[in-house]
Amino acid sequence: MASRRILLVWALVGVAVGVLGQTPRVGGELVIAFGTDPESLDPNKITSAPAGMVLTHIAETLLTMTEDLEIAPLLAESWEFSEDGLALTLYLRKGVIFHDGTPFDAEAVKVNLDRFRKATYAFLLYPRVQSVEVLDKYTVRLQLDKPFAPLVSHLTHNFVAIVSPKQIAELAEGQEIMAPVGTGPFKFDKWIRGEFVRIVRNDNYWGEKPYVDSVVFKVVPSDATRLVLLETGQVHAIMRVPPLDAPRVAATPGLEVVKVPSVRTIYIAFNYQRAPWTDIRVRQALNYAVDKEAIVKEILGGAGGVSTAPIMPLIFGYSAQNPYPYDPEKARKLLDEAGIPRGFKCTLYHPTGRYMMDAAIAEAVQAYLREVGIEAELITMEWAAYLAFLRKPVEEATFDMFMLGWGCVTLDADYGLFPLFHTSEWAPRGSNRSFYSNPKVDALLEEARVTTDPEARKALYAEVISILWEDAGWLFLHYEVQINAQSTKVKGLIHHPREYILAHRAWLQG
Amino acid sequence: MAIPTLLGVSLLVFSIVRMLPGDPAVAMAGVHATQEVIERTRKELGLDQPFLQQYFRFLSGLLRGDLGKSIRTGRSVWTEVLERFPPTLELSLASLILATLGGVLIGVISAAKPYSFFDYTSMLAALLALSAPVFWLGLMLMLLFSVRLGWLPAAGRGSFAHLVLPSLTLAASSLALIARFTRSTMLEVLRQEYVTTARSKGLGERRVILLHALRNALIPIITVIGLRFGALLSGAVLTETVFAWPGVGRLVVDSVSARDYPVIQGAVLVIAFSFVLINLVVDLLYGVVNPRIRYD
Repeated sequence: MASRRILLVWALVGVAVGVLGQTPRVGGELVIAFGTDPESLDPNKITSAPAGMVLTHIAETLLTMTEDLEIAPLLAESWEFSEDGLALTLYLRKGVIFHDGTPFDAEAVKVNLDRFRKATYAFLLYPRVQSVEVLDKYTVRLQLDKPFAPLVSHLTHNFVAIVSPKQIAELAEGQEIMAPVGTGPFKFDKWIRGEFVRIVRNDNYWGEKPYVDSVVFKVVPSDATRLVLLETGQVHAIMRVPPLDAPRVAATPGLEVVKVPSVRTIYIAFNYQRAPWTDIRVRQALNYAVDKEAIVKEILGGAGGVSTAPIMPLIFGYSAQNPYPYDPEKARKLLDEAGIPRGFKCTLYHPTGRYMMDAAIAEAVQAYLREVGIEAELITMEWAAYLAFLRKPVEEATFDMFMLGWGCVTLDADYGLFPLFHTSEWAPRGSNRSFYSNPKVDALLEEARVTTDPEARKALYAEVISILWEDAGWLFLHYEVQINAQSTKVKGLIHHPREYILAHRAWLQG
Repeated sequence: MAIPTLLGVSLLVFSIVRMLPGDPAVAMAGVHATQEVIERTRKELGLDQPFLQQYFRFLSGLLRGDLGKSIRTGRSVWTEVLERFPPTLELSLASLILATLGGVLIGVISAAKPYSFFDYTSMLAALLALSAPVFWLGLMLMLLFSVRLGWLPAAGRGSFAHLVLPSLTLAASSLALIARFTRSTMLEVLRQEYVTTARSKGLGERRVILLHALRNALIPIITVIGLRFGALLSGAVLTETVFAWPGVGRLVVDSVSARDYPVIQGAVLVIAFSFVLINLVVDLLYGVVNPRIRYD
């Protein structure tokens, strides 16, 4: 009896030690491998997720988007819109200093936001933002010309990450920031182009300090090589595991696969101003003709979800629709009603190597369309050529259908719908490359922009989405799930839907 | 000869990159950009000017040693290319040495003992190495030496050990070619009368092969090696991608994807220049190997 009690005590001690063993260890260098070198580390210049990922550790934004896609305070502790929605007041965090010792204050925010006016992505804030006013040392007000509800989520983006005003003042005209000086938990250390970016812990960080001494972001372009590096222990975490390799990695002891929903929706758009795509029956028929479930299951190995809206479920303003079921019979019937002859020929343009399994998916769609009597000719294009091809005005657009992805990076429905469906955004001016046009949709999208009540906005987007769905504005496919992998020795890494791996709270087991 | 060659290369690469479908302003601004952004980008890059004007601006910059600024990163093209050139040079030289020593050695042994077991196996292996795609070979070597045996690091640049797998991968096809070429040249030389004379003088077989035969076979072999250097520089593109080697080959690929005209031009010019340089060295080597060749 006594011995059993001792055994029990020991077992409890064992459990306790096990839990204590989970106390984060301080120190060590964490290595993360990703596919592309950042094009820049100047907040105003960056356009890609890899650059954004590195910068997130160094330079912080006023507000942040958590991995659950909630907007949370960061350099601003709180914020409020005025009654009329024309002013956004931000109350800044006190006692924050930049890596170069400059104190963070309202003046620093103004300098940064004014600098952003000249940036590529300035259109996300300007011209809506008319002025940035410093109310007192720790309060800033953004004055708008019209209410602009997505503003708060735009402020979470790396484009407006705040760097030291001293650094900005010292920049020569036309020169960009190479070694950003921010307020983040890590400081910039070294960047060898094509090889790695290294950052080190900021011991004066205002928040919870990181556990690891340093993080190396290693550039490894080949998917297969990244996997080998993880398997041989040369790196701790990698981005973008090919879907077909994921099960094998998951079965490898010491490794784990992490699946994170991505904010990117993959779709096939029709040339909306050209027959027969002007006929709603044809567009609906194509939605019935393609088995989206099979594509997600077989080609993506489950690394995705069938679209239930033009934006993915985590985006603010999402409203679930019923996917068009796979029903070739119905598709044929609709095509017959629309007078489309069997063997009708058309073109389907698609990129290759840009989105997960893009070429394979295009081939599958081609096969499904053939089943209902449509001969889609596949035209594969290299990315840069493709982008230019899809920038043509309506009278020069020669495609019937094209495949594209749209990352709704602001995580607000406005950015996932307005540029793609509003008539004023027709290519080449904006990103409505399929020349979709519907006065009702236009009106609702405009109204949602100037409505500040979140619930009212949600209702407006729900209506837009249901119209687009009914109208079969696209051949709706799926949203992607990013597949990352990491060693089980790393704890506390955050795999963020923005296609970031964040090391803020990560630690390495001894 | 070198200067007209480089001028020709500059005009060629300048026009070819502009003939590619796609637009640097669109590529750089990305899938989310508006037309306003694209137009502004195009103006900033000077891409709204006529072709000839752009070319002369490029040439006059070139004469002043200025290759322009990268479209993608905004940094000077010189910095971009020179930063990435040493890794490529290191990789190609290591491969060149490996391919030359290995290739000549295998070729000579095979020629000395033709139709032997060694000859058959090495020539078969050479045929396989010639036909194996670089990325496949690279992955196979990586799986064997890094994953299975754990002897060498899988990828990246750093210590000498990091250099072994990529240079082996890059050298493989050149090594095979040099081995096969050395063997056939040696076999031909060994049939010459002066070799028979040397043998009849009672010289040892080793002396005959290394001193009399190999020396005469070297000229065509050196030519092939010189030509292979170009292949090594261009083959570096795939090897660098597989092994995450931060060289100029990958820079070219990244720049082509972004339609970063100035960097493509700069990198190709620097590669062409080093190729011209190597050819000069090869020409000089002829004189060393065969004193009858003179450059007056």
